[in-house]
Amino acid sequence: MGQAPSGQGGGPPPERDPEKEKAERERRKKSYAARPPLHTGRRRRRNRGTGTSGKLPKVYPTSKCKLRLLKLERIKDYLLMEQEFIRNQEVFKPHEEKDKEERDKMEDIRGSPLAVGSLEEMIDDTHAIVSSSVGPEYYVSVMSFVNQDLLEPGCSVLLHNKVMGVVGILSDDTDPMVSVMKVDKAPLESYADIGGLETQIQEIKEAVELPLAHPELYEEVGIKPPKGVILYGVPGTGKTLLAKAVANQTSATFLRVVGSELIQKYLGDGPKLVRELFRVADDLSPTIVFIDEIDAVGSKRYDSQSGGTREIQRTMLELLNQLDGFDERGDVKVIMATNKIESLDPALIRPGRIDRKIEFPLPDIKTKRHIFNIHTGRMSLGEDVDLETFVMAKDELSGADIKAVCTEAGLLALRERRMKVTQDDFVKAKEKALYQKKGNIPEGLYI
Amino acid sequence: MDRPAASCQNAKDTTASRCGGLSPEDQTLMEGLELAVARLQDANPVVVSTALEYLVKEVRNATSSMTSVPKPLKYLRPHYDTLKHCHAMAKESVPSKKLMADLLAVLAMTMSEPGSHEILHFKKQGTINDLGSWGHEFVRALAGELGAEYTARQLSDKKGRKDNFTADLISLVDEIVPFHLQHNAYAEAVDLLIETQSISKLLGNYPLRPEKTLVDDSNFKRVCLYLLRCGTYIADPDDLKCLRQSAFQIYRRHGYCSAALGVALKMGDDDEATPFNTRCKELFDTTDGLMRKQMAFLLARHHSNFEYVEDLEVDAIIGNNKLKSYYAQIPCLPGFTFDADLGRDLDILDAKTPEDIYKSHLGDSASSRASSTSAPNVDSARANLAATFVNAFVNAGFCKDLLMTPDGNTWLYKNKEHGMLAAAASLGMIMMWNIEEGLTIIDKFLYSNEEYVRAGACLAIGIVSSSIRHESDPPIALLPEHVESSSSIIRSAAIVGLGVAYAGSGREDVLDTLAPIITNSDAMIEVAFAAVSLGQIYTGTCNSDIASLIVQKLMEASDASLEISESNFLGLGLGLLFFGRGEKGDAMLEVLKTIEHPVGLCASVTLETCAYAATGDVLQIQKMLHICAEQRDSPLIFPGSVETTENQSAAPKKPNLVARHQSMAVLGIALVATGEDIGAEMTLRTFDHLLHYGEPPVRCAVPLALSLLRISYPDYGIVDQMSRLTHDADNQVSLNAIVGLGLVGAGTNNSRIAGLLRLLAEHAREPSTLFVVRLAQGLLHMGKGLLTISPFHADRTLISKAAMGSILTFLHCCLDMKQTILDKNHYLLYHLASAMAPRFLFTVDVNLNLLPVSVRVGQAVETVGQAGNPKTITGFQTHTTPVLLGVDDRAELASDELCSKSHILEGVVIVEPEQSTQGALECKT
Repeated sequence: MGQAPSGQGGGPPPERDPEKEKAERERRKKSYAARPPLHTGRRRRRNRGTGTSGKLPKVYPTSKCKLRLLKLERIKDYLLMEQEFIRNQEVFKPHEEKDKEERDKMEDIRGSPLAVGSLEEMIDDTHAIVSSSVGPEYYVSVMSFVNQDLLEPGCSVLLHNKVMGVVGILSDDTDPMVSVMKVDKAPLESYADIGGLETQIQEIKEAVELPLAHPELYEEVGIKPPKGVILYGVPGTGKTLLAKAVANQTSATFLRVVGSELIQKYLGDGPKLVRELFRVADDLSPTIVFIDEIDAVGSKRYDSQSGGTREIQRTMLELLNQLDGFDERGDVKVIMATNKIESLDPALIRPGRIDRKIEFPLPDIKTKRHIFNIHTGRMSLGEDVDLETFVMAKDELSGADIKAVCTEAGLLALRERRMKVTQDDFVKAKEKALYQKKGNIPEGLYI
Repeated sequence: MDRPAASCQNAKDTTASRCGGLSPEDQTLMEGLELAVARLQDANPVVVSTALEYLVKEVRNATSSMTSVPKPLKYLRPHYDTLKHCHAMAKESVPSKKLMADLLAVLAMTMSEPGSHEILHFKKQGTINDLGSWGHEFVRALAGELGAEYTARQLSDKKGRKDNFTADLISLVDEIVPFHLQHNAYAEAVDLLIETQSISKLLGNYPLRPEKTLVDDSNFKRVCLYLLRCGTYIADPDDLKCLRQSAFQIYRRHGYCSAALGVALKMGDDDEATPFNTRCKELFDTTDGLMRKQMAFLLARHHSNFEYVEDLEVDAIIGNNKLKSYYAQIPCLPGFTFDADLGRDLDILDAKTPEDIYKSHLGDSASSRASSTSAPNVDSARANLAATFVNAFVNAGFCKDLLMTPDGNTWLYKNKEHGMLAAAASLGMIMMWNIEEGLTIIDKFLYSNEEYVRAGACLAIGIVSSSIRHESDPPIALLPEHVESSSSIIRSAAIVGLGVAYAGSGREDVLDTLAPIITNSDAMIEVAFAAVSLGQIYTGTCNSDIASLIVQKLMEASDASLEISESNFLGLGLGLLFFGRGEKGDAMLEVLKTIEHPVGLCASVTLETCAYAATGDVLQIQKMLHICAEQRDSPLIFPGSVETTENQSAAPKKPNLVARHQSMAVLGIALVATGEDIGAEMTLRTFDHLLHYGEPPVRCAVPLALSLLRISYPDYGIVDQMSRLTHDADNQVSLNAIVGLGLVGAGTNNSRIAGLLRLLAEHAREPSTLFVVRLAQGLLHMGKGLLTISPFHADRTLISKAAMGSILTFLHCCLDMKQTILDKNHYLLYHLASAMAPRFLFTVDVNLNLLPVSVRVGQAVETVGQAGNPKTITGFQTHTTPVLLGVDDRAELASDELCSKSHILEGVVIVEPEQSTQGALECKT
């Protein structure tokens, strides 16, 4: 191997003095000085241009102060000058025509149709080993107009149909599993729809939203913002609701995933999905990742013979690594929710991975009243309805229970085609709701 | 609290509809506030005052949340106008009026129209004391409005009534600044003082505690660091002066004298009232012996011409007389770790031959064999010349080499004519800083039969004593007679020698020697060299005599004599005179405008950029960019960008000169932007555009300008870009890029650059390319990696004018490589000698003998404005001194038992045990 296919073109040259020709060829050969490789490492860092330009300098200090302002203004001045310069130059030498010409030329070189292959290995800056779907591997040259930064082993590339040279890159699509996790349409629930939970809202705001919006506040005090929070509490206390409200409010990308989604059929797919999830989160940062029902994958480790359990544990280990591993996560915040925090692996919720644990207690009387008000706000209630009796009752009602009671009461009224919901409906509804909740054990039977 | 509770029940129904989703407590609060607002309009002053107190209490107690507006403020929002009305109605005599104003000021924080400055408006009517009780956020908001208001008044009122006009604001400033400083918000305090142009208040005391100064031992370092960093970006010279003076005073008050000296060096002579020498003298007089010595080391690195006659030992240090002994010690130390990464000793004791540097055996064997056999066009004279330079640079200061110092002078006579000159002069560089021994070796060549050897010896004498002030002072004793020699080459060499020897010294006797040459000599080359030498010697002094001499010469000289490319050095000399002095050069610029010859244009560009060197002045950069953007009317002057070898010699000189000022402008952009990180980074972007759009004269200067931004600082990105430029189609660009690679890596032994240069050497097709590659290799391995030519020192805060001048001279040579370096004037390269300095950290004890201590060396981290005690270095390794420091490296002492006399561990640092000193400095900077 080793013959670059692109090198074999052009027929025999016309007759010439062989000596001269040889010298000529020698000269030409020598004049083709190999460009030294620009990168030493095989694997390049993402998002890093080859040149010095493209990125703006980082500005320190990060806290708000005049020095920062002055520096930013300086950058702005330079950018304005650049703009002015380029505008002036474009007037003299419009580049559209030239660009079009060059683009046409590039299209010619590319040819069509193009084959799709995958990049196996980079040999040097201009050569690579590619494999096509049919099987054989080729040693081919990489065209200079291919963005070298995006080339990395394993990516799909476009190959010329004859010489198989790399002429383009197919952008690496994200796993469709991950792309469905992205919340495109914000949920309708907002903070106003949450009864009570004021401290919880404040805590989650401080830990998740504010670091993304105002990182400098944390620098000023000299702390690193928390990486993630876990919401825990008995069912129906509003954990998911709060996450929805966060998604509704934030302008950051919101990825939501349920713990059970991370469990996959094939070995290694679960950890891969976790990796993919966090890679996408990093690409789209700032991002908030919400993992609901984390106990599906995050339960305590134990010695198990079952392959399935071990796979789940491996998925969790990958999650551990992504949360606080060797690679620095940028603007990715994690919210987890569970109602069995005691069964979670201690490594998962140690500080550094999850810095804030936010408890969602059952609502107290005040909150209950508030929740009842929220849910009955748009119901047509009868004159005799006295919500205070339910509010003051000693039953352990969660937010979801209250909602269920209200809905049930409404359904009962509907059954009789009444336009008003009466106190009676509420009493019945409550009994029914609590009956269901206690799991068919009649209330008070064992007390 | 009982009143609102009572009203709650009654008002329930009415408010319920309005405030739909409020929780009961919120409702209570809201109703309470509403009631209080209503009561404020009561006629009874007692009712009013209780209501007011209630409001004040609520507002003050509101636990301010980061995430939302405090509730009382939120609920008072609809009543803001009512409150304002109440306040306006209230009689002056009512005691609650002031409190009401205070309350309104707090409310205005969220409710006033932007730009109305209502916080300030109400606060002025309220009580001025005890601002802190209203919360930090309020004080910040108030400070922000103060600054804005002050600026607005400044703009509207230019009649000089400033003092009484802003007195009301200043009294508030007096209140806010101590509060900020007390609460560790020094950045805010300084910001406010800068905005209100009263930075000198930092020197004062707390208002009620006259014994406690505002800036004390705990925070002066942070405050001053912040001040100085801000100083880089402040355009107004008066403000800047005031700011630096304050920093100087604070440093001095806290016994941080070396840092104070650093500030003084930064100020230079910009302050008319106290020129640098007076200030420096005062500082020296008030400190003890050790500190004086430490400061002297700083001055020596800066190539300062300050003389301290009271203490001869200190004066000797400033004169760099210790340099030789310290530098010579380094390679001899057994435990000296040379390379931080490898941690092993390299054999730097042995002298190196150029072949050790070329390392052609490492190259691709086939091609190197091919090039050695089938390369008939290798120019042996040029190869020898290259070897001479490489040998000189590599063994600089080691007093030992394998070509020149062994007996027999065989190498010298392998060269011809100008080659001999360079070879003889290289002795000076090899013996650099060692005047006694150097002179004895050089002396014999002074009486050689060959005039080129004599010329070389003259230059060598200059190089030997570069940046050294010695009592015997050989150059001024020996060179003047050669300046009047009959041979022109000896004259030129002696002139250059004087320039190298006395760079930055401002010596009058040298002026007396060189001035007649400018006025009387007919040879433009000598005049040009004399102008550069004088510019170097009097750099940044604005010496009007020399300036007028040079300008006169420019005016009088015939067009024909200005045609040679050296004439541009006249402009450079002029520029160096005004180096870093800003507006001082404006008058001279006007004069230069009258010169019609293109040289005048070049000179004015050079002068302007030199005057604003390292200031980061954006306006200057813009001006230079405009020059770069100028279009040549007829494309005929520049026949294509690719000049082939054949027509190189035939290419007319004239077009070069016509567009020369564009090249100068490119260099000027780098010169102005360097020394300020943000600007330098942004300039890199600008250069990309210049490369993309620029005409050949612009493009060919870009690699040089890039290297000017990163002298001796082989940054990954820059090396990458330069290596791409070395393969540019335009020959001039690629040559300059190769030189640029050498400059970027000068004295670092950077293996990456070494590899690139080796490849270039293998594939070099022309002798000129090969020569330049060799030169770059010599620069890269300068002093076997112990030297730097970076003009920046003291943590990249100070710029040595003499060093920068010599680098500029070198770059100007490179702009016209065919006429200078590749021709006969290659000895101008030796100008770099005055930029050379060892890049070590050398710790000495109180007797100035080497004291090995362990230090941590790592990459410097910017810590300005960070909370707590952030680490100043990252990725450090622990070494024992002496160690080598890269340009962006920083060192700190590893043990707490020692403390240094200097605020920055660089160069020679005096270290002593902690307990023995009174009021000594902390080691950590």
